[in-house]
Amino acid sequence: MRRLYLFFFAFGLILSACGDDEGVTPDDDGMPGDLSDIPYDPVAYNLVVPEGYPQMEIPSDNPLTVDGVELGRHLFYDPILSADSTMSCASCHAPSGSFTDQLAVSVGIDGIAGRRSSMSLLNIGYVYEGLFWDGRSSTLEEQALLPVEDPIEMHNQWPNVVDKFKEHENYPTMFRKAFGIESRSEITKELAAKAIAQFERTLVSSGQSKYEQVRNVPGIFFTPEEQEGFELFIFEENEHPGCTHCHKTFNQMFTDHRFLNNGIEDLGGCDVEHLNNFPDIGLGEVTGNIFDYGKFRVPTLLNIAHTGPYMHDGRFETLEEVLDHYSSGGFCAPNLDPNIQPFPMSIEERDAIITFLHTLTDTVFMNNPAHQNPFE
Amino acid sequence: MRKILIILISLPIFIASSCDKDPEMEVVGDVEIIFRANYDGELFLTQKDYEYIPDMSIKFSTFDLYVSNISLLKEESSTDESELVEIDFVDLSFDINQQSRAEEGDTVFTKKVPAGSYKGFKIGFGVPADLNRTSPNDYGSGDVLATSSHYWAPLDSYIFSKIEGFVDKDNDGIYETSEGEGFTFHLGRDEVYTERIIFPSDPIVVEDGQKLEIYIDIDVKKLFNMPIDQFDTNDDNLLDIEVYDGAHGNQEEELIIAKQLMRNYSEATLLEQ
Repeated sequence: MRRLYLFFFAFGLILSACGDDEGVTPDDDGMPGDLSDIPYDPVAYNLVVPEGYPQMEIPSDNPLTVDGVELGRHLFYDPILSADSTMSCASCHAPSGSFTDQLAVSVGIDGIAGRRSSMSLLNIGYVYEGLFWDGRSSTLEEQALLPVEDPIEMHNQWPNVVDKFKEHENYPTMFRKAFGIESRSEITKELAAKAIAQFERTLVSSGQSKYEQVRNVPGIFFTPEEQEGFELFIFEENEHPGCTHCHKTFNQMFTDHRFLNNGIEDLGGCDVEHLNNFPDIGLGEVTGNIFDYGKFRVPTLLNIAHTGPYMHDGRFETLEEVLDHYSSGGFCAPNLDPNIQPFPMSIEERDAIITFLHTLTDTVFMNNPAHQNPFE
Repeated sequence: MRKILIILISLPIFIASSCDKDPEMEVVGDVEIIFRANYDGELFLTQKDYEYIPDMSIKFSTFDLYVSNISLLKEESSTDESELVEIDFVDLSFDINQQSRAEEGDTVFTKKVPAGSYKGFKIGFGVPADLNRTSPNDYGSGDVLATSSHYWAPLDSYIFSKIEGFVDKDNDGIYETSEGEGFTFHLGRDEVYTERIIFPSDPIVVEDGQKLEIYIDIDVKKLFNMPIDQFDTNDDNLLDIEVYDGAHGNQEEELIIAKQLMRNYSEATLLEQ
């Protein structure tokens, strides 16, 4: 009997020795899982922000590292996140469109159109609460989890995606380098979301737009038309209410991050009950408060010439249409922002404002190699 | 023997330490400041109709303000102050579906202060000049001064108070933006900062270990009091809001209105314990 024990012990020893030859320990699924031999030496990512920008607040549980950002960039561009491996985050947030898809509304893997336009991710790391058009996610880490399982976006399930990561040729090593995990089995959707969030926090303006050069570089000036447009944009004169009420120039962000009803929807009346006529209730979906119906995040105007069509549902094809809407004063509603008021605007003034808006174009940001698809 | 030695050594130390502590032990109580708003004595709610003048109703959508340099004064003339808060933000934009929250008000803070009797309550409306030289860039995202929506970059100033809404100018029962019925008073710049010391009839008594609630009630209608004839052509001592429907601090006329509205915070404010 003792000989039999000895036999099984020896057999087991031989098997384990075979495993040792490969340098990894099998996980439950029989695949090599031990990653501890791979060096984990996190190096802090040096996030450079342009002059006049505040330092970005990075969550203490997800500091930027070189390997974390790189993993995030790969995941952002990898279509394996979607059920049929045809769609990545970048499908709706492409650098050529300042990380939008330049469509009125985004279309998911099943060809179903969503109800909203993709938002630009430029300077998204400065948004500390209320992400998405309706503010339903508090952090980038939370936000990054949602599109994968959205049935009209990537239409996948995170366990499937995580399994793909575990089986992937490179990702286990990349997760190890980014987060120090010991085994493939420690790869989770939360770590994937953290990596994507790290990459997204690097999507900061270059500071090279004409507007920022005029502000910061001696000897660079607006053209007369740009200057006229800038003044119309910023000052409240001649009954012009001032675009900067919402598109704050402070921090060069051109948004105040609030949620407002900007009067684009004809509700068929101006009373409280008419608020129920919003086809998309926006922030109201999150808060449940009827006075939040039809409120959406104020988007940045940086790169606005490249992020059309405009508004949360892409209803306006051109900036001309957008400005015509604002000068009309919009449609009434109990929760309309009172800063939306009619104002006279000549064609020349409208053109001047649009010319100014083009100075907010940051092609250096859009072409930044660090932001591009690593698989190309 | 060893035990006796320890007791002999520690006993005097214990006695000495207990003798030292008692006279210096600070006696403190909690003070909680709660801001509430009313409109001519009626609970203030956004999205609710109020009468501005006969035949013209008003409806608000936003009412908020910075308060600062709040302190309790020992004597009417003394500088012996117990500072409660340097700066905070009060948002009283509760809508008609948030009546109970409006009744509760916006609690700005609770702070411990030395127990005792105080005769005065000092409060600043707006951002004082030293803090107004800073900008949201200087603060972390949770700080009340980090809010870019309350900052004017072109004027290097915080917006101290926002009062926004609509007036039914043509009295047709509809607030129409296309007819310019919106109003937006954004009040800011050093010139409009206002401070007030309130001397309540009964002294403010902070008792040891007790919490004292101080209510600051603001009558929003009184903020529109207008003693300057130029802006009160109806001669009703109220701002002609159908004509002067905004102030944003960058034009002289608007700055005069802004100064008056901020000054009005003094008489629009009541203290209740």
